[in-house]
Amino acid sequence: MDGVIRLISPSSPIRRSTPLSVEAASASRRADDQVLLRVDSINKQYADQAVLSDVTFDIEAGQIIGIIGPNGAGKTTLLEVLAGILPAEASDVQWLGTPLPPSRRREAMFYLPDGVRPYQDQPATRVLSFFADVYRRSADEVASAIEAVGLTPVLQKRVHSLSKGYGRRLMLALGLLTPHPLLLMDEPFDGFDLRQIREIVGVLRKEVTKGRTLVLAIHQLRDAERVCDRFILLADGHVRGVGTLNDLRARTGIVDGNLEDIFLALT
Amino acid sequence: MPSPETFHVQSAPLQPLLVKEVWEILSGRALWTMLLLMCPLIGYSFFQAVSLYGEASSAGLQSPVLASSLSPLDGVLVPTLGASYVAVTLLFPFVAIRVLGQEKETGALRLLVQMPYHSATLITAKLVTVLAAWVLSSVPAFSALAIWRLFGGHLSAPETLNLLFGHLLYGLLVGAIALFAASVSESAATAAIVTLAFTIGSWVLDFTVAGHPGLLEWVASLSLTQVLRTFEQGLLSAGLVVGVGTAVCGFAALATIWLPPGVHVRNKLVRSIACVLVAAIVLGLATQIRLSIDVTEDRRNSFPVLDQRVLAKLAEPLVVTVHLAPEDPRYADLQRNVLAKLERVLPNLSIRLAGGRQSLPINAGDDRYGEVEYTYGRRSDISRSTSPREILPLLYSLAEVKPPAPAPGGDYPGYPLVAPGQFALLWFFCGLPFCIALLWWCSRRLPVNYRKLTKEVLS
Repeated sequence: MDGVIRLISPSSPIRRSTPLSVEAASASRRADDQVLLRVDSINKQYADQAVLSDVTFDIEAGQIIGIIGPNGAGKTTLLEVLAGILPAEASDVQWLGTPLPPSRRREAMFYLPDGVRPYQDQPATRVLSFFADVYRRSADEVASAIEAVGLTPVLQKRVHSLSKGYGRRLMLALGLLTPHPLLLMDEPFDGFDLRQIREIVGVLRKEVTKGRTLVLAIHQLRDAERVCDRFILLADGHVRGVGTLNDLRARTGIVDGNLEDIFLALT
Repeated sequence: MPSPETFHVQSAPLQPLLVKEVWEILSGRALWTMLLLMCPLIGYSFFQAVSLYGEASSAGLQSPVLASSLSPLDGVLVPTLGASYVAVTLLFPFVAIRVLGQEKETGALRLLVQMPYHSATLITAKLVTVLAAWVLSSVPAFSALAIWRLFGGHLSAPETLNLLFGHLLYGLLVGAIALFAASVSESAATAAIVTLAFTIGSWVLDFTVAGHPGLLEWVASLSLTQVLRTFEQGLLSAGLVVGVGTAVCGFAALATIWLPPGVHVRNKLVRSIACVLVAAIVLGLATQIRLSIDVTEDRRNSFPVLDQRVLAKLAEPLVVTVHLAPEDPRYADLQRNVLAKLERVLPNLSIRLAGGRQSLPINAGDDRYGEVEYTYGRRSDISRSTSPREILPLLYSLAEVKPPAPAPGGDYPGYPLVAPGQFALLWFFCGLPFCIALLWWCSRRLPVNYRKLTKEVLS
């Protein structure tokens, strides 16, 4: 049957012919190994220029992970390679200890790109309904997602006429309607003011409490510090540090340093 | 809200995908603009066709002999739908490209490819949308047929359906090429250039090299416009249908291969080569299918029924050697009046041009130039005629069979009609554009169920 969504369990090996079942995030919590996603040595080149070099890290379930780095660090490329929508020279990814080839990444994760305004001639309601129908969401679930991101005032507006902030809210609502245990988001706070960022952080936190894991690519260090549990510091396509803020402080020896100080020390 | 612990979907429904595709194409300007442009284009062609048919009919109404040469297929249907062909060639690519190109340009494709649909399902849904767009863009042509009937004109159902089927295949072929172009191109503009290179290139090919012998003739036969010729002649050819179907599936398969952004280009190239090879093999096999049905009411592509029955029983091979250059008008007459009909009825027929595919000046020195030699078994005869009235008795004589007695009646009566074509102009220049504009406006409004959903959320 076409289009089967199968959430991946730690017990079932990933084979083309075998349907993957089940309770990903909760299973992972029960498991001794808390690693949801293991990324081992991603390499990506454009012509002769290496954009990602030997990028390796782990993602644990039920956390908000921030991929932190300046513009051009390779954050978007990393997310797209992870999501399987950009080919890479090497991209060894394991989901709960089982290899996850690029063609099957969409079964485990959903990626919300930056700067995308999907279906611009359609009203926001119709775009939401499309996602809700594909993923068989109930009217209550759709209403809940709309309410959570504050999209109500613009539901009947066409996507091309939405402001940057509402465009972001629409994308976030689409992300909330997807069922995947891992949600990748590129610059989710771009276009929001401080108050709105706090609102959205609340929405993301609530999502994590429901068992989802979020990976956010953020270039604003203060925003990242506010929302993320763990950080992957990326510069020039290399991972410069991975861990919680305290881990990174310990590694750099900057006891009271903020993320900005640590990032500057490591890059 | 999503919860990984409880969520479990076995299959993604196709309906939302199809609904989304249809709304996408209805929301764009391309389809409606094309429809509005087609109104005067088809309207004027129809008006001219009806006027000319009326002039010929004036004489035909006085003489049954003249009337028998008046067929609505040639007089009205082919010229009217010819305008539709022009629109599909020049405008339809922009409509079809939008089906995929818009999503590519806005980045929505990156969301779509993550959804639980196989790439082939996505392209199939888009091809279905292209088909729906073709049906909608054919509304002016359908209305022309309806007006013709209102005028009291005759339409033969098999002829009309066959011609519409030919146009449908052509529309699908252009749509599949457009989808392929949109799939490999980064922008809609590039996709348009690629598609128009196919469609207008075919057109130019037809104008410039058709009728030339040798390699040029073969190149001209690859033109997309050749697809319609057979249908316009009132033939439903199995080989052609299989060939066009293969081409449509081939381009759709190529679009499927190039759709996923996460696959290396070299992998896509390898798969494309395999796809092209398979399509080429099937196309080659399709050329060997000789089955075709003459759907014309006047049976212009067949000998009389009784002759067909006798000829079908000739078991031995018939070899026809033609001493004519391919571009000689006599060869075209012979081909149309005799050889094409023989090909459709005789199980063992081989036709060869004595001078190969050489042109007229090279053949000019041949003493036997103009002769056509018919060899059946060990007997042979020569004729210079291009008429079945002389060739059929010659063949019966060679086969030593008794010619069938001519059957009385059954002659095509012809359908002369003098109709006030100018009234149709009012419809095509005012009524239909107004209706299309109204539909366009309606399509821009939010449907009731979405308004209801919005109200529910707001409450």
